[in-house]
Formats: sequence, C-alpha cells, structure tokens
Amino acid sequence: MSAQFPNFIIIDDSRLDCFIAEKIIQNSGTYSNVKSYMEAAQAYEEIKNGIIGDSSTMTIIILDIQMPVLNGFQFVEVFEQLPKETQSKFAIFLFSSSINENDKNRLGNFPSIIRFYSKPISKDTVAQMIEQI
Amino acid sequence: MEKQEKIKILYVDDEINNLTGFKASFRMNYNIMIAVNATDAMQHLSSHPDIRVIFCDQRMPGKTGVQFFEEIRSRYPKPIRILLTGYTDIDSVIDSINLGNVFRYVKKPWADDDILGAINEANKFYVSNSLLAVKNEELQRAYNELDKFSYSVTHDMRGPLLSVLGAIDAAQHMDDITEIRKMLLMMQDSVKNLDDFIQSIHDYYNLNRGELEIKEIDFNELVEEQIKIFNFTYLVSDVRFNTNIIQKEIFRGDVLSIKLILNNLLSNAFKYQRKDNPNKTVDLNILVENGHAVIDVIDNGVGIAESYLGDIFNMFFRASTQEVGSGFGLYNVKAAVTKLNGKITVDSEINKGTHFKVLVQNK
Repeated sequence: MSAQFPNFIIIDDSRLDCFIAEKIIQNSGTYSNVKSYMEAAQAYEEIKNGIIGDSSTMTIIILDIQMPVLNGFQFVEVFEQLPKETQSKFAIFLFSSSINENDKNRLGNFPSIIRFYSKPISKDTVAQMIEQI
Repeated sequence: MEKQEKIKILYVDDEINNLTGFKASFRMNYNIMIAVNATDAMQHLSSHPDIRVIFCDQRMPGKTGVQFFEEIRSRYPKPIRILLTGYTDIDSVIDSINLGNVFRYVKKPWADDDILGAINEANKFYVSNSLLAVKNEELQRAYNELDKFSYSVTHDMRGPLLSVLGAIDAAQHMDDITEIRKMLLMMQDSVKNLDDFIQSIHDYYNLNRGELEIKEIDFNELVEEQIKIFNFTYLVSDVRFNTNIIQKEIFRGDVLSIKLILNNLLSNAFKYQRKDNPNKTVDLNILVENGHAVIDVIDNGVGIAESYLGDIFNMFFRASTQEVGSGFGLYNVKAAVTKLNGKITVDSEINKGTHFKVLVQNK
C-alpha cells in the first residue's frame, strides 16, 4: 500500500522548518519517503542526476522562496530546464512566511509550480497537496 | 568673509562699461564673473557649476536677457536669474517672471543697494533650494529603504515566529521527549535569530539617525570586551583567536560604531569557518598610528565567491546558507565605516578565507 503514497522532499534553509515539515508529514502517515535539503542547489543536483525521483510514485517538493544562493524561484527556473521526463516525477509547492505582489505575479510564469502556501505547513496542507497531484 | 569662499556671481551685458563698473563695485564682497555675450556666459556656467546668481541685461544684440534665461534654465537650473532692464521692457519682464524664468528684476541704471539687496535675496533662495534638494534626496533614500524594510521585516520577523508556531503544532503530536528536546533547541535558535535581527535594526537606526559620540578609545579594553561576548555566544573553543593590538597614540572616535564594526566582522569570521578544518583561526590585528586606526580581521574559513564580493555590503544580501544571517551585518558595518569617514576593503578566496581591512581616522 505504502508505495501508493508520494515521496516528499523539503527544500528550506531553516533547519527548524525542515524538521517541522518532516514531523508533520511523518505524522500524517501518508508518505513513502521524506528527505530535507537546506541548500536548493544540492537538491537540484540530485534531481538532475536521478538520485532522487521515483518512477513508481510522485515526489512532492516543498519549496521555500527566500533562501540565499539559490532561492525558490531560481530553483524552479533551472528545474524547468530539465528533461520533461524527469520533471514529470515531481510536483512543486511553494512555501513562504510572506509573499509580495512581485512574487505573486511571478508564480504564473512557472507552469511547474502547482500552488503557493503560507507557512507554517499543517497536516491539512499535506492532505491538500496529495489531493492535487 | 575672509575664510568663507566668496559667492560666485555672473553678469552678462554687451556694454563693457557696465561690466567693468559692476565688477569694480562688488568684487570686494563677491567673486564676480563677467561675459559680453551668451557664448561667454555659457563658458563660465560650464566651468563654474557653483555660480549662485546670474544678472543679465535685457537688451543685447542677437538675444534678449529673457531669451537667454529661458535657454539656460533647463541646463543650469540652480543659479538664481535676475534681469537688468529699463522700464520700457516691463511687459516682457512680467511675462518672464510669471513663467518662472526670472527670479526678480533690477531696473537700469542700477543703484548699488538694489544690486546688493537682490543678491542677498537670491542667495537666500539659492541656499534654501539647495537644502531642499538635499532633503529630497534623503527622503527618497529613506523611502527606498522603507520599501526594502517592510518586505524584509515581514519575512525576517514573521519567518522565525511562524517556525516556532509550526514547531508548537508539531510538538502536540510528538511523544518522544528526546525529539521534542531537539526541536526545542532549534526553536531557541529561531528565537535568537529574531532577537539578533531586532538588534540589527536597532544598530541600523542608531547608525543612520544617531549622533557620533567621540570619546577616547582603548583598543585593548575594547577587544577584551569582545572576547568576553564571543566566549558567551559562540562555541569558539575549536577556533584559535589571535589578537595583536598596537596602539601608539591616543585614539578618539565613536565607540559604538567601532564596536559594531568589530563585533560584526568577528562574528562573521567565527561563523563562516570550514567545519572540517582542524586549524580554524581568526586573527585580529589593530594598529593605531599616524592619526588613524587600521583594523584587520582575517579568517581561514569558507571564503566568499568573487561573484558575490560586490554585493556583500548590500542590505539583506546573503551569500551563504551555512549559517543563519540577517543580511544586515555587513551593511551596518559599511554604514558605520562611512559614518566615521573610513574605508573598508575585502579580500577573499573560496575555502581559503577572508580578510577585511578597515581604516578609520583619529578624530
């Protein structure tokens, strides 16, 4: 049964936010695998090289916007350059404590972003994300 | 009048006699420049951008005074324009004043008192205009910073709060006390970050609005104090901290700004170490001589990529995910150095380390 549940990866430079998201997902019981990255670049490398990304189930990416070095939008930009086949294994949800008009308008430019959510993540958010993939 | 530089005044008239007479009457009190035609006048204007008042005769061959003022107005908006004219031209003068091309007029032939009065009024107007321009610029800058501020405050202050809120929510479904303790530690970091951020805002405010408080500074004492602070807040046990302080003369400066510079540069040096480096070091060298203090903060940590070096002093810029930063520290350092009329330079190489050099004048 558990193979039916999606994988989750969390990309957030806040250690606490990664930890919370992991706990909430684990508590939901509706997951196959969960992993955190504090650097978006590392997650990108692993996606590109096929280290993460399952062919039997979807991987949900919980992505923070404001991060140093490679921020959420920059991550999506490079992600969308990847082969369609790789992209199709992932579903991106954007998370932030705040969003300004500029960022809101940018959301539309990225077809791979399914939705934006305000932090903090809750078990309802997890359930909603699973419904949308 | 001796020490202060004389106000620069330009007088344009096609009659040489008027020009020499004008110059003879007022050169004691003012720096008088004269021009027999518009071309000469333009030359003066381009080489002396600080001319404050322009007098121009209305009746000149080729071009009237009003036309001349109209022409130069957009290119040289700052000097105050005064027309010299007889009563016969009064209609064109009225039009010109109403259009804003002329500040006032003095009737010809002029009396010395009329000219002096006109210069006085014009100079007052010039000074208040310049002050207004400076204030406007400050205001614009303040607006821009406010924009950045409100965005960052929502993110950098709400961020840690929402994290803690999320953690509290998660804790309600956790039974393992060791897990909860682990999370409490992270919550503590989050709250500390928020506190640091608020402290940075306070520093920022002091730097930008506060007055300098010049006092004698004993660098040895100051560094002792810093060492105490770092022993409390950082695990510096595995970083070798070397200090070399040579103070050859009494140094006077703003102690708050200098503390802020030292505190931020040192905390960065301790924070951005390479975790796998067995010989982590931070060197602090201070040399006070010949009327200035040179402060070097050198670490052998992670370094800063060359492509980021240009941005590190910008507000809210962060070049690393290794440690939690507000993006405020180096911005404040730069503001403090600027406030002290000093200079800051940085040398850095990835995985080799970073060297900040600060030079501040002895007051």
